[in-house]
Amino acid sequence: MSDAAGSYAIGDAIAPFTIESVSADAMKDWAVFLADPNPIHLDVEVVKAKGLGDRVINQGPINVAYMMNMLMAAFPGCTIEKMDSRFLDNVYGGDKAVASGRITAVDGDRVECEFTLDIEGRGTVNAGTATIRLNNP
Amino acid sequence: MAEEAELPPAPDVAGTSLDGTKIFTVSADENDRLCRSVGVTPAADGSAHPIWYYVATQVAMGKTVAGVCETCEFDVEDGPMMGSSGVRFMAPIMVGQPYRVTGEILSLVRKKSRKLGVMDVLTYRLRLHPAEGGDAILETDNVWVLPRKELA
Repeated sequence: MSDAAGSYAIGDAIAPFTIESVSADAMKDWAVFLADPNPIHLDVEVVKAKGLGDRVINQGPINVAYMMNMLMAAFPGCTIEKMDSRFLDNVYGGDKAVASGRITAVDGDRVECEFTLDIEGRGTVNAGTATIRLNNP
Repeated sequence: MAEEAELPPAPDVAGTSLDGTKIFTVSADENDRLCRSVGVTPAADGSAHPIWYYVATQVAMGKTVAGVCETCEFDVEDGPMMGSSGVRFMAPIMVGQPYRVTGEILSLVRKKSRKLGVMDVLTYRLRLHPAEGGDAILETDNVWVLPRKELA
């Protein structure tokens, strides 16, 4: 086992990554990044008209990015080799989102993890797994 | 099972090419804005935030989101939903590096669920290649749920 992998053990918790308030302005930026002006991310009146809630809805990939941020912060210099995530519910503007997880396997310089993205007061909205290659010093 | 057998089949779209012609490049400014929009600062080593895997492949694939839906005989206004997204990186996405996309629809499967009624589950695969050629630096499989209100 490498020195880097030796720092980690199965069952270890991964330090959470928190977004205190999901930003509606960020959704506007992402509509440009994704070249996808779906109004459910931009116009609360459209969200209401579709019966989807009363706040704009975060683009799904932003939620994946929060979970990637957690992994990159927990394993500095790491490479995310593989990541799978499932979308279970919407994240809305103003939500407090917390990505957290734990290590499920350690093999040489690779660590496997499982994680969730949870919304304060509503529970898990994304869940996934990843394989991380550690940065050996 | 018996109920699913009674449903009309989903459109036969497996194998539809999603190869793109656009060249996609993450600029330093875009990467900076994206990183800050999700609460982090850009990496110092020239690599882009890994979530660009989703953005780059969606923007530079051979069809728009609405076009993919149209291929599946689904109106994008009816609200496609993301089911899952998986990615395998062979190399990081680099700022300033031009890329192109290849890919295809893998399957479109009609199902009935208690929560959503009748829906088509679309799975497609996209790969991001250096624009100058060579092996893909990443491969992503995305699953969308297309609710079929007209069949509910």
